[in-house]
Amino acid sequence: MTFQEKLRNGERDRIWQEYCGFLDLDMKEYMTIQNRLLMEQMQMWCSCPLGQKILKGKKPQTIEEFRQMVPLTTYEDYADVLLLKKEEMLPDQPIIWIQTTWEGGKHPIKVAPYTKGMLQTYKNNVLACMILSTSTQKGQFDIEEADTFLYALAPLPYTTGLIPLALTDEINVEFLPPVKDAVKLSFSERNKKGFKMGLRRGIDFFFGLGSVAYYVSLSAAKMSEGDKTGGKLKKMFSMSPSMLLRYIKAKNVCRKEKRQLKPKDLFHLKGFVCAGTDNRCYKDDLEDLWGVRPIEVFSGTEPSCIGIETWTRNGLYFFPDTCFYEFIPEDEMYKNMEDPAYQPRTVCMDQVVPGQVYEIAITVLKGGAFARYRVGDMYRCVGLSSKEDETRIPRFQYIDRIPTIIDIAGFTRISENSIKSVIALSGLDIENWVALKEFTEDKGRPFLHMYVELSPDAVVSRAISRELLKEHLTIYFKYVDQDYNDLKRILGMDPLEITILRCGTFKTYEAASGKKLRHINPPVHDVQDLVKAQDQFQAQDGRRFPL
Amino acid sequence: MNSYAFISIIALYSYVFFMLAFLTAKKNRLIWDFICVLFLMVLWTGGSLLMRGQMWPSYELWYHVSLTGIWLLPYAYYCFIRDFAGAQRKSSKKIWLLLLAAGTAVNWKTGFFLKPPEIVGEGEQIAFVYHMEWPVVIMYGLCAALLVKIAAIIYRLYRKRPETAYQLLPLLAGILILYLGNLGISLFDGFPVDILAGVFNAVLMFYTLYSGHVFRLTLLASRANCYVVAMAISVLVFFNLAQEMNRFLQQNVNILAQYHVIIVAVLIMLLALAIYSMMNLLFDRLFVKEERMQNERLSAYTMEISKSLNLHEIFQALVNVITETLQVKKIYICMEESDGSYQAVYSTSPLDDKRFTMDAGHPLVSWMKEHDQCLFLRDFKRTLAYKAMWEEEKKRLDDMKVECFLPLKDNDDLVGIVMLSGKEKKKSLGIDDIGFLNSIESVSSIAVKNSRLYERAYSEARTDELTTLLNRKCFYETLEECCRRCGRSALSLVIFNVDDFKLYNQLYGNREGDEALRHIAQIIKGTVGENGYAARYSGKEFAVILPEYDIYSAQNLAENISAQIRNMNRNSKDGYLKTLTVSCGICGMPYAASSPQELVQNADQAVYHVKRAGKNGIMVFSDGIIQNQKSGGSLEKHRSMYSEYASTIYALTAAIDAKDHYTFQHSKNVAYYAECLAKALNMSDEYREILKEAALLHDIGKIGVPEHILNKQGKLTPDEYEAMKSHVEYSVGIIRHLPSMDYVIPAVIGHHERYDGKGYPRRIAGKDIPLAARILCIADSFDAMISKRCYKQEMTLEYAVNELERGAGSQFDPELVPVFIQEIQSGRVELVYSNGEGAQK
Repeated sequence: MTFQEKLRNGERDRIWQEYCGFLDLDMKEYMTIQNRLLMEQMQMWCSCPLGQKILKGKKPQTIEEFRQMVPLTTYEDYADVLLLKKEEMLPDQPIIWIQTTWEGGKHPIKVAPYTKGMLQTYKNNVLACMILSTSTQKGQFDIEEADTFLYALAPLPYTTGLIPLALTDEINVEFLPPVKDAVKLSFSERNKKGFKMGLRRGIDFFFGLGSVAYYVSLSAAKMSEGDKTGGKLKKMFSMSPSMLLRYIKAKNVCRKEKRQLKPKDLFHLKGFVCAGTDNRCYKDDLEDLWGVRPIEVFSGTEPSCIGIETWTRNGLYFFPDTCFYEFIPEDEMYKNMEDPAYQPRTVCMDQVVPGQVYEIAITVLKGGAFARYRVGDMYRCVGLSSKEDETRIPRFQYIDRIPTIIDIAGFTRISENSIKSVIALSGLDIENWVALKEFTEDKGRPFLHMYVELSPDAVVSRAISRELLKEHLTIYFKYVDQDYNDLKRILGMDPLEITILRCGTFKTYEAASGKKLRHINPPVHDVQDLVKAQDQFQAQDGRRFPL
Repeated sequence: MNSYAFISIIALYSYVFFMLAFLTAKKNRLIWDFICVLFLMVLWTGGSLLMRGQMWPSYELWYHVSLTGIWLLPYAYYCFIRDFAGAQRKSSKKIWLLLLAAGTAVNWKTGFFLKPPEIVGEGEQIAFVYHMEWPVVIMYGLCAALLVKIAAIIYRLYRKRPETAYQLLPLLAGILILYLGNLGISLFDGFPVDILAGVFNAVLMFYTLYSGHVFRLTLLASRANCYVVAMAISVLVFFNLAQEMNRFLQQNVNILAQYHVIIVAVLIMLLALAIYSMMNLLFDRLFVKEERMQNERLSAYTMEISKSLNLHEIFQALVNVITETLQVKKIYICMEESDGSYQAVYSTSPLDDKRFTMDAGHPLVSWMKEHDQCLFLRDFKRTLAYKAMWEEEKKRLDDMKVECFLPLKDNDDLVGIVMLSGKEKKKSLGIDDIGFLNSIESVSSIAVKNSRLYERAYSEARTDELTTLLNRKCFYETLEECCRRCGRSALSLVIFNVDDFKLYNQLYGNREGDEALRHIAQIIKGTVGENGYAARYSGKEFAVILPEYDIYSAQNLAENISAQIRNMNRNSKDGYLKTLTVSCGICGMPYAASSPQELVQNADQAVYHVKRAGKNGIMVFSDGIIQNQKSGGSLEKHRSMYSEYASTIYALTAAIDAKDHYTFQHSKNVAYYAECLAKALNMSDEYREILKEAALLHDIGKIGVPEHILNKQGKLTPDEYEAMKSHVEYSVGIIRHLPSMDYVIPAVIGHHERYDGKGYPRRIAGKDIPLAARILCIADSFDAMISKRCYKQEMTLEYAVNELERGAGSQFDPELVPVFIQEIQSGRVELVYSNGEGAQK
């Protein structure tokens, strides 16, 4: 029975129970589901050639043995099998392959197989997201046939392209513009067409990356304004009578309040779902623009859709039947970063501690390929239960990517290797550098801050200003990383900031502190010390370089 | 109007309505039969009505008209049933027509069988009294005989095709009702039970045709029917309202008294027009609109697929037109594969599970091959073919919620099968949908077949059969096109040449060699993806065209591919494959070439330089200089790698010598014979060296075989023989741990394989056995025969030669045996004997 048929039958309580019932589980029940499904997955994964390759002939019989024998894995461990799509080596035959970019990897893309079971779970999870995005309290939701979705998602083969397919299999919803048209349009054309259609039919749901949703919302506000009188008239004629009435009313309110038209003046969203990193930087603005606070989901290419917030918007809950979750405590992760041979300790869902930050490792259930796979995301456990949500399972807050990766607005993932390539390609005489993700003071938007130290020879022989360095490096960032290019192309963001440090600063800092800074995301206070080291350097040395 | 006239008029009206509807429809033989039945019923009912009304010219005439209808009706039924059952035509049909027509004609002329009735009474009390005499039995007897004949046809049909016979049940019920109706005349005095039964009968016949998929309800929506219905209602309106209107006008609008008739006429006309418009609208809404939309969609679909030769586009259009028109939830398209099976290749959503295959013997496939129509699963379940379905196959169809199958046929060739699930809102596909599906089928079949043939031909013309990459011809075309498009911005060409591939083929056989090429192609294709074009440039060379790639990016990609190729045999399942490497040359436009020819030449030159520098590396051609040399770790000058391992081989052979001196001596002898044979075959020095070392190590695994088995006097038991056979795996197991000596493994593992495929351990045959193994097999067997063992005496040279000749083609390579024998007989190969104490020449 499809979701639509269930809706028609009026089984609203049963629908809630089926899709969002996991919120009522207690820890023991939650772990029973996790353990049982892991046992099933273990049987499939351990006996398949991929599993055997990683296990090197070992055969775990229990969950404990599985966690001991299977090392924590990264995409490197799967690349030779998955990139060549060797289906015969997988635990189950995939129905579809989902793709994403592999920044810092040896290959431009990563692919992940989705099996029938995984897709069914994915459908259920997407519907759960849809339900929870409209709910204001437990058991309440507002979904109807022919609801409209603004389509601001990347199409297949990217993971977000699964959402419309999953939904249309279950319920008759209308995407603005229709998916078959949307895939042929560019990003901006798609937004324009979506909003034009939205003005005629209204918009009920909006799914998108936080940063993209923000950009789209601003464009929408501009489009709703209309650039010239003729445009406005034309727009008004294309609206439905109810929308026209709303438009006139909204214009009147905006005139009185002396502000620009916002999407919330025209559209009354039932549900607003955002995914990706840095959502917290955009959530307030998005709420202001749409009048609805977006609900956050966690979805990725390898793990699929695994977590969702509730009506309180106060922490993510992981779906119990999608992946088996393990958490690497932050200190263990750092130990492993310093010594790659060290196998960090992991804890299960029933062992997490509130306030602790973890790197997540997942085993994809239902025939998935990835086992004990480090997705590269950090979460903070914010509680083991919630009175507001009436839940008894841990909830988490998404922090960011792991420290070795700088993710800007969910678009690009910059690694040490990519920055090294950029510097090498640029030919700039950068002697030393660190890069970290920072946030603008005014709006809290993310940016990439590079602290660079140039070689003394370069300083005297070449024209190197801060702007020039920025321009130069930006060009090579775009060359090396297509997603960085998209950041500028799609969102109009220019996320690079350069601070030039005095020659010799790194040496002075290292001598003074006795430690070497890591290149990517070193601790903020260390960077502050580094900047301060310039002054110490001056005091010690007493001479100046011609900077 | 009395009940008789009322019912008769309704009956007459129904028959005329049906008849008109079917006259406007596209007709086949069955429809003609039904029209004929309806016509006779019109004669019967109309004649009877006019007779009772004593209409002009005479009631006798209308009596004969009515009787003609009754007496010829069984014949019309007979024709209908025969055609419905698909019975063979026989001349008896004409005899029946002749007899009944002749009887009717005679009765017209003479009233011999049944005279016209006598009118009794006057005015309202009038009655028609029939005077029946014995001759009437003749005509009714003929009718009864014909009915028996009809029953026989149905019975035969039931025996042969029960599912079709079931479809005739409503028809039989109709005949029964008609029969009972005629009997009931006497029971219901004054009430025309027979005519009412006729109406029921016509409706049931109509239903039979409808459920037999002979026509669709939308056929009734013709303009003629609209006229008839509108006219009938208008007449009724005129009949009932005209007088009233006239009276109303006379009473209330006296001024226009002279125009009253005109006003009434105009009003009635307007009313008739309104009725007609309403009828038209009603018909349009009920039938025509849907049909018109279907036709429009069908026509748009036909246009769309006629413009495309892309199979994927055609599938998409096919799925769209069916989904939009019939609101079908899921559609799967299965296409015929080269082995005759039908594999699901396309479906409504990319998320659908398409792991569905029907082999050539699948009952559904067999049924579809024999029939040209679409088939409902519910009908299929009632066929005999369904009885052959496996439970798993049934379950699969149920899981997919398939309701209907549509064959895509080109003449007798079943190109594919379209499987449709139920409609939205839990509706099932119905008979009305069949016409549309059949139209879709006829349009799609040819398009699908043509585009498939085109795509296959296109693919064969463009791609290399072994690797499915672009072939050389297409590579040049693509390169020309890419150079035109992006030669001025950025274009790179990378050529990969597989190192020592000939040796690889010699070591592992051509099959393994082909497998390696396929694997390399897969790596290249997987890595390049949508960013460029990969081609098999020559036998062991691959080329990658990278539009918008500068040399730096191309080099990164080449490094990535080279690394994957280097690692590809690392995890081979038997662990015996040698590592393959590639020599790679890169050139880019506009940096280092200005034409496609120059680009290829320069990249080739770069490859050549890598080869000269020791293979396994990447070089970039830039401005006439080969630059940027990168290697996978061994670019130093190739040395004879084999001589390096002499100490390892010595250690291993010493180990076997300690355990079994015979085996040690035997291995040395085999090495000698094998090397001699390789020399006679003009093999290279390098190859002979490999062969010699393989021979020295071929029985090294006997270290793992118990001594009592190795030296057993007498025949080995089956278990002991199995233990002895395992020495091959032991050998490979030992050598595998010496990665530097992996090149001898193919010869060692294959030296007990037989040319006819009955050897061990892999049971491979013919040229699939590596050449080195085939040589070892001859040398090994020859030495074993002429050597003395604890369990046997040495055999004579003649005997050994005879055995070799006898085994050529079964145990030994028939091409190698004569060469070896010639070498022995010419004395170029000296005999060496093993006897436990050492070798004797």
